[in-house]
Amino acid sequence: MQDYPEELQTPPVRLISLVGCPDLHPTISTHLLSDQPPIHTLAFPDLSKISFLLPPPSPNDSSEPPPSSPPPGIFKRDWLLKHRTKVPAVVAALFPSHHVSGDPAQWLQLCSDLDHLKAVTRSRNIKLVVIIVHSDSKDDINEDRMIALRKRAEVDSKYVVFVNPNDASELMQSLHRLRSFFSELANTYYKDEGRKVKTRIEKRTYNSTELNIRYCFKAAVYAEFLSDWIEALRFYEDAYNKLWEISGIPSRASSIQRLLEIKTIAEQLHFKISTLLLHSGKVTEAVTWFRQHITLYSRLVGEPDTEFLHWEWMSRQFSVFAELLETSSATSLTIPSLGLGTGNKPLTEWEFYPAYYYQLAANYLKQKRSSFEFMLSMYINADELEKTTESLVPSVYVGQYSRLREQVDVMVMQTVTDEEFLNNTIAEEKKHQDPLKMITLLKKAYESYSHAKAQRTSSFCAFQIAKEHYAMDDLEDAKKHFDSVASLYRREGWATLLWEVLGYLRELSRKHGTVKDYLEYSLEMAALPISSDFHMLSLRSQDCCPVGPATLEQREKIHNEVFNLVHEKSVLTSVEHGKELKVTGDNPVHLEIDLVSPLRLVLLASVAFHEQVIKPGMTTLITVSLLSHLPLTIELDQLEVQFNQPECNFIIMNAERLPSAMMEGDQHDNRVEQAPSLALSSNKWLRMTYQIKSDQSGKLECTSVIAKIRPNFTICCRAESPVSMDDLPLWKFEDHVETLPTKDPALAFSGLRSIQVEELDPEVDLTLSASTPALVGETFIVPVTVVSKGPDIHAGELKINLVDVRGGGLFSPRETEHIADSHHVELLGISCVEDGAESHLISDEEMKIKQSFGLISVPFLKSGESWSCKLQIKWHRPKPIMLYVSLGYSPLSNEPNAQKINVHRSLQIDGKPAVTIGHHFLLPFRWDPLLLSRTKANPPSDQSLSLPLNEPCVLVISARNCTEVPLQLVSMSIEADNDEIEEKSCSIQTASSNLVDRALLVPGEEFKKVFTVTSEINSSKIRLGNVLLRWKRYSRTKDQHDSNIASVLTTQRLPDVDIEFSPLIVCMESPPYAILGEPFTYFIKIKNQSKLLQEIKFSLADVQSFVISGSHDDTISILPKSEHILSYKLVPLASGMLQLPRFTLTSARYSASFQPSMAESTVFVFPSKPPCELAKNGDAGPETCGPVSTSLS
Amino acid sequence: MIVCVAVVGHQNNPLYIQSFTEADDALKLHHIVHCSLDVVDERVNNPRKSGPTLNETFLGLLYPTENYKVYGYLTNTKVKFIMVTTDLDVRDADVRSFFRRFHAAYVDAVSNPFHVPGKKITSKTFAESVSTIVKSFGFSSAI
Repeated sequence: MQDYPEELQTPPVRLISLVGCPDLHPTISTHLLSDQPPIHTLAFPDLSKISFLLPPPSPNDSSEPPPSSPPPGIFKRDWLLKHRTKVPAVVAALFPSHHVSGDPAQWLQLCSDLDHLKAVTRSRNIKLVVIIVHSDSKDDINEDRMIALRKRAEVDSKYVVFVNPNDASELMQSLHRLRSFFSELANTYYKDEGRKVKTRIEKRTYNSTELNIRYCFKAAVYAEFLSDWIEALRFYEDAYNKLWEISGIPSRASSIQRLLEIKTIAEQLHFKISTLLLHSGKVTEAVTWFRQHITLYSRLVGEPDTEFLHWEWMSRQFSVFAELLETSSATSLTIPSLGLGTGNKPLTEWEFYPAYYYQLAANYLKQKRSSFEFMLSMYINADELEKTTESLVPSVYVGQYSRLREQVDVMVMQTVTDEEFLNNTIAEEKKHQDPLKMITLLKKAYESYSHAKAQRTSSFCAFQIAKEHYAMDDLEDAKKHFDSVASLYRREGWATLLWEVLGYLRELSRKHGTVKDYLEYSLEMAALPISSDFHMLSLRSQDCCPVGPATLEQREKIHNEVFNLVHEKSVLTSVEHGKELKVTGDNPVHLEIDLVSPLRLVLLASVAFHEQVIKPGMTTLITVSLLSHLPLTIELDQLEVQFNQPECNFIIMNAERLPSAMMEGDQHDNRVEQAPSLALSSNKWLRMTYQIKSDQSGKLECTSVIAKIRPNFTICCRAESPVSMDDLPLWKFEDHVETLPTKDPALAFSGLRSIQVEELDPEVDLTLSASTPALVGETFIVPVTVVSKGPDIHAGELKINLVDVRGGGLFSPRETEHIADSHHVELLGISCVEDGAESHLISDEEMKIKQSFGLISVPFLKSGESWSCKLQIKWHRPKPIMLYVSLGYSPLSNEPNAQKINVHRSLQIDGKPAVTIGHHFLLPFRWDPLLLSRTKANPPSDQSLSLPLNEPCVLVISARNCTEVPLQLVSMSIEADNDEIEEKSCSIQTASSNLVDRALLVPGEEFKKVFTVTSEINSSKIRLGNVLLRWKRYSRTKDQHDSNIASVLTTQRLPDVDIEFSPLIVCMESPPYAILGEPFTYFIKIKNQSKLLQEIKFSLADVQSFVISGSHDDTISILPKSEHILSYKLVPLASGMLQLPRFTLTSARYSASFQPSMAESTVFVFPSKPPCELAKNGDAGPETCGPVSTSLS
Repeated sequence: MIVCVAVVGHQNNPLYIQSFTEADDALKLHHIVHCSLDVVDERVNNPRKSGPTLNETFLGLLYPTENYKVYGYLTNTKVKFIMVTTDLDVRDADVRSFFRRFHAAYVDAVSNPFHVPGKKITSKTFAESVSTIVKSFGFSSAI
């Protein structure tokens, strides 16, 4: 686009001219330019100069051309430029006011200037404006002079404008006025001119189409001056259509030049049309128009000799349209929906991308180049062209060329013949060949496509760029582009396209002289999946890649070339450096193939261990499998299998090549195996299985397999596990039989290239002994013994870990604030036993202990020696835990990084509660108070116990040994809570605070202790306190350990009790025993403790075993604070444990009835008077309340 | 005249590509087929809302190059068919019917129990039937 003249590229701008008073020119022209639409200014300082720039029009220009002969050209080259820069629409003559009002001489001068100016403008129909510049007031201007001036200038009075440059506001005003005048007059001028041209078109006073085109063009330009885009477009299209009409008609002799002229004009018209369409946002129309333009003119190829001009022209059409499309803002907004094109030829997406046009422009440029080269080759005396021809210059008509001849001081244009023209053009073309132009176009297409995420097309452009660079021997750039393209083709599996790219790359590296690259590309090409039945691609020599068509034969040829080079049978000649490419000792080649390398096709190494885990020192099998897709069999000299443990590396020698390979055997510290043959045939796994062993524990991993072919060529191939082996790129799409890397199919799907080598078997005994379950509260001792059986123990370290069996932590989150108690199970310490006698706690430096973790170092132990320690663990809650103890040591030395052997032991220990403490209250025998809370309709089930006020109660505390070991109780007591400040509400008494003989509790046995509780305050919820039970494990042997065992205190809180006042108390009194036939008295005392009169209903049921005397049932009233005694005389009729008559009592006031329990109302009847004396105790009779004694049940 | 037909797999890899031209531009046709995949991608990713191509297997004209026209077809299993023709005036109906028959031939070929999905189609029967379809292009719909 930038080749076009400036006046064509931009829309025309109206032009006016300023004459005289040069001081004011910048002010006015700036003002005119800044406004919209702008007006350009042509300034002449002096009136006399104007005739030079505006010569009177030639008679040819003004008058109608002779209608008979067609004009020599269609457009004049400078016409547009003339109207844009030379011929103003308006001339403004500036006169200083003193010239108007001054002396006659000045006035006369002014008049003559004005006449002169008028003569110039009148002939061209240019409008005139007179500007009078006055410095102060305009009063001093003579009115007569003004009229005279107006008359002489023949202008309307309003077009005489006064300007005062000294007054800013007035100046601004006059500038605005001037501007509107200029605009108005310029419009009139261009309208008039346009109308003139249009009249000519309508009248058709001529019969040449050329003139018609010219007039249409002019009309369009004038319409553009007026910003009438629609009219401009219409006339441009008219001109274009008329031009196409004459394009087919041969006129004049020189058809080559004629065709060129027509195409040039068509190009300009098309450019204008496209610009106008795109500016008005009609992208679809513009694209359709372009397509039509190309369809029409692509047929006008012209003579075979000038074909290249046609291709150049085509290329320019595309590139210019691409630029237009790119700069047009409309395209960036939206691509209009498809299908808007002409019905049967819908537009496609890409026709809206500039990239598409750039790409095609480059294609045409390429076509131009090839046709030019072809034509040049046909030219016999091409070399002489430059000498014989002289330069041609563009003639006055657009698209025409002529020769400049010097004729006596004057340069004369001379028309040229077609042959001369052609020779000249060819010579010019030869001189100015620009190979970078095509690359520029392609680069634009590439960038634009990349931007549109069309990666394949952009790659194709990159490929073309690379080919251009290649042709120009710009190897670096070419390689860069080729490599990027190749990666795409590799990924998508386009083998034929990849072949072509690789062919270039291979040739590049040959030119560059890099053997390694050359070998890599050659090997990849040879291994591409191109089979023999792929019969296509008999390619033209210059278009094809340098290697030749993609066939199996070619692959084999490349294969042979590579291996000839490797076998040092041949050398390659580098084009660029002239040096020889070869593989020798000075220049060894080492290829690396990793997991993503394209060379995996060439050599793929799959390594599988037959086992997953082995013991150190044990042997296992390893299968090394190699696969190559090279077309021919290759013979390897040796294979080196490398591991992460270098001592495991081994080398496989080819037995056939043993002597030569052994020659350079520099490393004999590795194992050397021999294989009968190391021949790799195409697409067939070469499988080899060897034994391998490792002494070092940990992971043994095969890292790489290095194949050596001849001394100077090695391929290092990363080992891959069969289980995770990726498909081979390209070959994965081929329909060929796939074989497994190992014979064992299971191994092929699960084999790994690494194996776990276990640790050495530990030769040490680590024993944890804890026979019984631990008891909550005690310090539980777990002895740990380390006995060395084999090698010495260096740098031993014992780790102890307590883990909750059921998961979860060993501490409860709720209690975290009480740090001391936060752990349910705690490792208190470790004590060490030395020499089996002395035991001491290990100092803090030697061990680190946290609540559930401990670390202690074990001293050096010789073989056979032992060491032991005791772990002290305390349970705060019953909880089973897992105790893990692991001993890490190094069998050899004391070095810190020596290999360690670990021994692990674990033991589950249950923490159990030692004793369960229970309690219950007893009221005195046959002594029943009426507690009103018990009579309620629905006594709450969780109701705490109620005790009568001021009555002694019996509290029995029982402690049951729920372990499996005997326990010894030290003491049992009840203590009030420490924090209890309130007044003592009840008294608890006990017979003896200490147990005289330490009570031994065998498993399951229960110990009971009786306390008397007397409550003194009538209140609910009385705290009784805590039961403190001190106990320890019972050990029969009274050795030292026993004394060390501290007694354990178990605490349990007693529940709260309610103290209640009881209004009635029923007390039954009978002797402890009776004798058959002997009467005894049975008293029932009813105490009214309330201050109210109580009405009591009672009844006594008859029984067979007794004869009763006394009232059976009655209703009595008991006075407040008094006692009523019912007495019965009973005679037993039978012996044994007999039920006394059932007594039932009902209180009317409380509607509560009472019946003593069966146990309370029995009596033992002796058949006769017992021989021994029991009576003494028996006399105590009912006074058995408070049996304060300690008993073992 | 159809100069090239191609079946392109999920990873945009060629499953079958065959040119039917005596001229020596097979490689160029490969490039054209490969580049046309960009248009297929674009058309699949940005379907025109109101366009008639919505939910249709036939993708229509992909793009015109200098001398060729490229048509595309996308099966429900996302296998792409590409056809390159030199005819300047092609009826849509012809192309549609061509692709229908081509699709049928493809279905027959991949229904072969010995065919591994995703691998190149090497069946000779398929090649023959494709060549028959290609040869009858332009005539079939006239019947």
